[in-house]
Amino acid sequence: MTTSSMFLPEHLYRYMIDVSVQEAEPLGRLRAETAALDQAHYQIAPEEGQLLTFIIEMIDARRGLDIGTFTGYSALVAALAMGPAGLVTTLDVSDAFTDIARRSWQAAGVADRIMLELGPAIDSLDRLVSRGQTGVYDFAFIDADKEAYKAYYDRAMVLVRPGGVIAIDNTLWRGRVADPADRRPKTEAMRAFNAMVHADRRVTPVLVPMGDGVTLARKRG
Amino acid sequence: MTDALQDYLVGASLREPEVLQRLRRETRTLDGPSGMQISPEQGQFMALLARLIGARRVLEIGTFTGYSALAVALALPSDGIIVACDINEEWTGIARRYWADAGVAGRIDLRLAPALETLAALDSAGEAGRFDMAFIDADKPNYPAYYEHCLNLVRPGGLILVDNVLWGGAVADPTRTDPSTEALRALNQTMRDDSRIDFSLVPIGDGLSLARRREG
Repeated sequence: MTTSSMFLPEHLYRYMIDVSVQEAEPLGRLRAETAALDQAHYQIAPEEGQLLTFIIEMIDARRGLDIGTFTGYSALVAALAMGPAGLVTTLDVSDAFTDIARRSWQAAGVADRIMLELGPAIDSLDRLVSRGQTGVYDFAFIDADKEAYKAYYDRAMVLVRPGGVIAIDNTLWRGRVADPADRRPKTEAMRAFNAMVHADRRVTPVLVPMGDGVTLARKRG
Repeated sequence: MTDALQDYLVGASLREPEVLQRLRRETRTLDGPSGMQISPEQGQFMALLARLIGARRVLEIGTFTGYSALAVALALPSDGIIVACDINEEWTGIARRYWADAGVAGRIDLRLAPALETLAALDSAGEAGRFDMAFIDADKPNYPAYYEHCLNLVRPGGLILVDNVLWGGAVADPTRTDPSTEALRALNQTMRDDSRIDFSLVPIGDGLSLARRREG
């Protein structure tokens, strides 16, 4: 949920983008359309989308879980990276934002690879578990309500296979997590979440200072 | 990144095995070059990548006191192997002690010779396409040559990781025209435009480029 990697000096960030980011055309169009919204900062940075693409291709993921659709950028990243054999399940509560998402998926020719479930994400995740989808996902991306991150993570741990990856966005929370005086509920929630993942022996995690901080956790085999 | 945030990141995410902590402390006591060691969070990231692709055969160019080789060796299966290239006996002497301490000395094949010679020898020995992952962290002017060798030696789907690609920010400063900075700038542009790889530049440590050799 941020449109740039905020922890680098501006000139170095611009250099990094110049020498590394090649945003696929449908992603660029969606970014341009989303930029007009007040909530444009909910969208992940293009370099983060590229890192997620890299990881998805690297582990040859075929089934993706996207918690927090917004206007569909990360679901589109995953669908494009997985190719025609891929299938992405994406969860959100907003009709307005996901209408933009649906249109962008259609325009990119990947709408048939993305299943949108509208409703509270925790309910949708519980439904996936009860439908027997335990361990079928190769990759999950968490980028929704910060105070519910632990609930999403617990369910993603059930749904992702051993050796699969859970990526979690905003884990540096604009740097606020490092300011002990910041006791706002979302900051506290993110701090507690980071501490929980750090101590969770079921995963091998790493916190990457890209975008607003993205944690990559591999579920152990 | 502020010091406070860097400290938070390390405190909230680092899981550094005790033997790596000791190696980092000893390396810090060396005169001068301790900055050549990768950051511990970068080591953790590289170990994660090795696990994610199930790496078994790894090539390292630039071993120094052995931190990155050890971090990755600990993530390999017991029959895994790292071919490690360096020219410095004193520094790699420290490396060997810690590899032995950690019980992974048998997984690391240290080649003391100019890396370009070792890489050419690997190619002649029929090792092209036989490595799962390569890590480049040595003399910067040779980076473009190391990169080409690695593209030949890793298999399709294998990874090439390149360290120091942001070079303390010097790459973004047009007044910096020393050979190391120029070589890194040239390689960064080569990799951006290189259709043989998938690519991501990660601002961890001093900048780490990830390349995945495409099929075909």
